[in-house]
Amino acid sequence: MNEASISAQNLTRRFGDFTAVDGIDFEVHPGEIFGLLGPNGSGKTTTIRMTLGLLSPTAGSVRVLGIDSARRPEQIRPHVGYMSQRFSLYNDLTVLQNLRFYARAYGLANQELAMRTSQALEMSGLRGRESALTRELSGGWRQRLALSAAILHRPEVVFLDEPTAGVDPISRREFWDLLYQLVAENMTVFVTTHYMDEAEHCHRLAFIQRGRIRATGSPESIKQETLRGRVFEIAPDDPVRAVQLLRQAAGEGRMPLAEVELYGERVHVVSTDPRLGEGALRAELEAAGIGSGPIAAIPPSLEDVFIASMKS
Amino acid sequence: MIARIASLVVKEFIHLRRDWWLPAFMLLGGALELLLIGWATSRPITNLPLMVYDQDQSAASRALIVSLENTGTFDLLRQAPNLDAIQAAMERGEINAALVIPPDFSAQILSQGGRPALPVMLNGAESVSARAALQAVEGVAGALNERIVVRRLGIDEEAFRGFTPGLRVWFNENLKESYYTTPAELGLMLEFTVLLFAALSFSRERELGTLEQLLVMPFSSLEIIIGKSIPVILIGFFDFLLMLGMVHFVFDVPVRGSLALLLVLALGYLMVELGKGLVISVVSRTQHQAFLLVMMIGMTDFMFTGYAAPVESMPRAIQLLANLVPAHHWLNILRGVMLKGAGLDVLWPSLLALAVLGVLIGGFSLAFVRRALN
Repeated sequence: MNEASISAQNLTRRFGDFTAVDGIDFEVHPGEIFGLLGPNGSGKTTTIRMTLGLLSPTAGSVRVLGIDSARRPEQIRPHVGYMSQRFSLYNDLTVLQNLRFYARAYGLANQELAMRTSQALEMSGLRGRESALTRELSGGWRQRLALSAAILHRPEVVFLDEPTAGVDPISRREFWDLLYQLVAENMTVFVTTHYMDEAEHCHRLAFIQRGRIRATGSPESIKQETLRGRVFEIAPDDPVRAVQLLRQAAGEGRMPLAEVELYGERVHVVSTDPRLGEGALRAELEAAGIGSGPIAAIPPSLEDVFIASMKS
Repeated sequence: MIARIASLVVKEFIHLRRDWWLPAFMLLGGALELLLIGWATSRPITNLPLMVYDQDQSAASRALIVSLENTGTFDLLRQAPNLDAIQAAMERGEINAALVIPPDFSAQILSQGGRPALPVMLNGAESVSARAALQAVEGVAGALNERIVVRRLGIDEEAFRGFTPGLRVWFNENLKESYYTTPAELGLMLEFTVLLFAALSFSRERELGTLEQLLVMPFSSLEIIIGKSIPVILIGFFDFLLMLGMVHFVFDVPVRGSLALLLVLALGYLMVELGKGLVISVVSRTQHQAFLLVMMIGMTDFMFTGYAAPVESMPRAIQLLANLVPAHHWLNILRGVMLKGAGLDVLWPSLLALAVLGVLIGGFSLAFVRRALN
């Protein structure tokens, strides 16, 4: 792999006493979808704003395509696209007017402009609705239009800040299909999200919490490295009591459990000791008169990791 | 660079068309206000309702009332039966002036050593009409006094030649109020229009959240400023032409000096206000904030222009401060060119002041806004 598309070293931003981003390091490689995963207020947007040169770091630095974001932001701009949380389009412009504004702003003209806007209409699926006002589009359509506009000039890196917040699951799915297309065309995607299912789609993830990166790697390796131990799914008779019981057992140190969480009718437990098996769990529950139901070892989901690491 | 600026200008005009009420309000609202002020002030004050408590009921008292009516300033509402009726009518706002003619009014006039008295009540809460009423009453009383003096001295009334000042009013021969008010309003409306449009340019995008997107695009800060300014300049200048046409054709206010000079200076002045507006725009987080700041600055400027009260009669410190207000010099220029037919040979001090302020304000604004955008 050649030079990183984005690299941050000790990137830090303080607002008064509050440290929004606390000395983070990360690298994004060309042609990958890199996800910055974290809860609200964890420093995702601050990171993206520093990376784009909209906010200067208090310490450390970040480079995009080898250019320092704080020093030469204007050199980065032609090569990147940006889609912000909700407002990257002008609501009082039509679909076509928005696309044309983007195209002209990035210096496209004549045939190239016509071709690119046409492609963008195709990609967003808005052909035939060129003269619809953007504010009249539903969330999913608007999202796709915003993405099409952000990549109209074929940037090398595109930044998406919580692109699918407030969009229904099907639209989200379709949105991700578009992202995979872009990556197939060799674009690098930097995306922030707090949706676990979305994070699973990323090639690589950085898991940020309270301004610090807790884990980096592919979703698979994060699950394996961050969560040492096994995850069991139990379907007991009385899930609420089962959770109480197991938490108590963990609290008293009788069982090596890092996590006991209720997922609907089921209980997920994360054991810290690989030797702990189904039998021990079943025995513990049945001793208290709770029918344990089926117990199965399952692969950990990112959500398990997320919650476990939030608590640590 | 030009293509990128053009893309911004096109976008701004689309916003204006969609949000049509704002430009419509600014263009037509300003013109309408000008029209109303022009009409309201185009005539002298007439027909003030007057009440008279005539205790004398003589030929002399009736002659006095007729002379007052003949000034055109008053309109006799009715005779009052007593003082209480006058007080009540004044409190209800039915009248702004009242006259009490004492029972011995004619007797005092006719006797050689008589001292006629004439109590007049004016509504000081309405100072403009009170002043007009005072002027009319003084005029009538003066003429009456002259006749009394002539008679008591036994001079032949035909042979008496009093003294009248040989008045000649320059620049506004008929002392038409509208000559004074409409050019001043025109100048101020231009200030408000430009300030407001400029102030909304960035605050609007910030409020909607699109400013960030704009900053990530490959616009330089200068390109953004130029792209945002061009629509403001075009609208401001169009507004000026519209209002100038109205002042000239509807209210017959002349443009005695060079029209070309006036237009060039209007454009120059507009750029100074544009600079102020853009600074307001980048310091405001919302459009409402920007709007309130414009009102505050506009009203302060208004006081310093000398339109409401002459700057010469203000305290010394305020007079010096007034020189720092571009609108103050702008109104001087506007009146100078329109009413006095003045050229650069006369107006250069105002022009120089405006130019110096323009360079200072413009330079500061440009640096400030560029810093805010980077």
